[in-house]
Amino acid sequence: MRVRMKLLAPGMVFLCSVLGCAKTNPRVVTTLNTGAMLNGALPANPIQGRVITSWIDKNAGTMSTLYGNDVAVQYARTGAQVGYPAGSALSVVTWTQKEDPRWFGGNIPAAAKSVEYVTIAADKHYTYQRYEGSPLKQVDQEAGVTPNDRESYLLSQRAAVMP
Amino acid sequence: MASAYGARVLWIAVLAGLVFLGLQLIRPTLTNPPVTAELQAPPEVRAVLRQSCYSCHSNETKLPWFDQVVPAYWIVTKDVKEARAHLNFSEIGKLPAPQQKAALYEAVNMIQLGAMPLPSYLRVHPGAAVSAENLKVLRDYLNPPAPAGAAAAADTSAADAQYKGWIAASNQTLTVKASPNGIEFLPDYKNWKTISSTDRYDNHTMREILGNDVAVKAIAENHINPWPDGTAFAKVAWAQQPDGKGVSQTGAFIQVEFMIRDSKKYASTKGWGWARWRGTDLKPYGKDADFSKECVGCHEPVRQNDYVYTMPLGGQQ
Ligand code: HEC
Ligand code: HEC
Repeated sequence: MRVRMKLLAPGMVFLCSVLGCAKTNPRVVTTLNTGAMLNGALPANPIQGRVITSWIDKNAGTMSTLYGNDVAVQYARTGAQVGYPAGSALSVVTWTQKEDPRWFGGNIPAAAKSVEYVTIAADKHYTYQRYEGSPLKQVDQEAGVTPNDRESYLLSQRAAVMP
Repeated sequence: MASAYGARVLWIAVLAGLVFLGLQLIRPTLTNPPVTAELQAPPEVRAVLRQSCYSCHSNETKLPWFDQVVPAYWIVTKDVKEARAHLNFSEIGKLPAPQQKAALYEAVNMIQLGAMPLPSYLRVHPGAAVSAENLKVLRDYLNPPAPAGAAAAADTSAADAQYKGWIAASNQTLTVKASPNGIEFLPDYKNWKTISSTDRYDNHTMREILGNDVAVKAIAENHINPWPDGTAFAKVAWAQQPDGKGVSQTGAFIQVEFMIRDSKKYASTKGWGWARWRGTDLKPYGKDADFSKECVGCHEPVRQNDYVYTMPLGGQQ
């Protein structure tokens, strides 16, 4: 059996070089980006939200997307009030980056580095939660009547223009 | 008996030979026009392209003897003419530097994805294959080590004005012209779910890739090849806007592009309807319906993946 396979191999190579066998290029094998999945006991799945904006941290080699619930997105895209209203729930996922195997010249999300949540309660209380690690675990939780520095930074990111 | 049969075979062979020789006279012309503006790139980069690509993508086509014989000659002539029309390294030097770089990024990708040199050509000309070392020469030229320190803060005035205009008009609905292939704009794209994002440092843009409910359900069930009819993707591109501290934010909106799956309706364009609108006034892209060829051409290397580049994030519900 072994011997026969050995004899067959050069024949196949020859046939393939003449007829052209369909080689599958590993770069185009259909697959989900499972490496960038959010694993862990998270209070909510951020990617269920709608996109507000995104940014890339060149020094850290990460890319972040800011998502919002309906209240938050409505505010961010219309600027109807001054500041996010009560009932807003935002989340940010920050991914490390990897080269896009299908497009040299692009980076795509790799493992998640952190997930953050900012919620504004009816009484205008701000809650901040941060998850890190693999699986993602809560590393910070803060609440207060004014946003902390990180919350202020996130809430000041204006919506990406989407006409 | 035997000799009569032999004579018949001989006659057929002679006739076939004459036909073969006659066919050699049918020769479409293939000339080498002058090299007017060769690609501006270091000699080692040009050397790699010269070895693997110039026989088709330049005005310096050199055909080995076996390509001079019909019918091989017909195939090669057609390939060369088409290849030059798409990309000609002997004339591309007249374009601005960023456009020359963009062509090289596309070249590297066509090589990596196995689309170039044409596989049919490679089988007969194995010497034209791009070796791993040669590929590295091209990649290293395009991706030099990043300069130390953060990029200077961008001038944000245009993006700021665009944002203000967009917010001010947020209570109005824009009338948007259909794409030249008849596809209507889908204003609800901004409420679809994100399925990935890309940092395209090759052209200083950043993108979010969004999918409609059919797309998201297909991801959740991992039925993404082929994608079900009704799937729609939107890819939104913005300029990267460095803040001077190492972070690039979403700058001016550039365009939104769609792929809409309908295997019957869009059979002539690989089962997808293609459309692109540019600028905040959402001007449809393309002179006529033929613009889709450009989209299909660049998505062709991922045809085994149903023409979709994006690897969707797992974890959709
Ligand atoms: C046998 C001829 C042949 C060779 C050799 C060849 N190509 Fe091509 N190439 C073509 C043809 C024909 C087209 C247009 C049709 C198509 O895309 O299949 C094309 C299209 C392209 C395109 C798309 C251009 C556009 O804007 O649409 C790129 C990029 C490209 N080739 C790069 C390369 C590179 C890089 C090499 C060398 C590593 C190479 N080609 C070698 C024939 C060739
Ligand atoms: C030069 C190559 C190129 C051309 C031309 C091109 N695309 Fe793409 N397209 C890509 C790449 C690469 C991606 C992956 C995402 C990214 O890196 O931006 C992509 C992604 C997309 C996506 C998201 C779904 C997917 O396949 O990943 C849509 C929608 C899309 N393109 C539409 C279009 C339309 C419409 C056109 C023509 C008007 C077009 N493209 C022309 C290279 C191209």
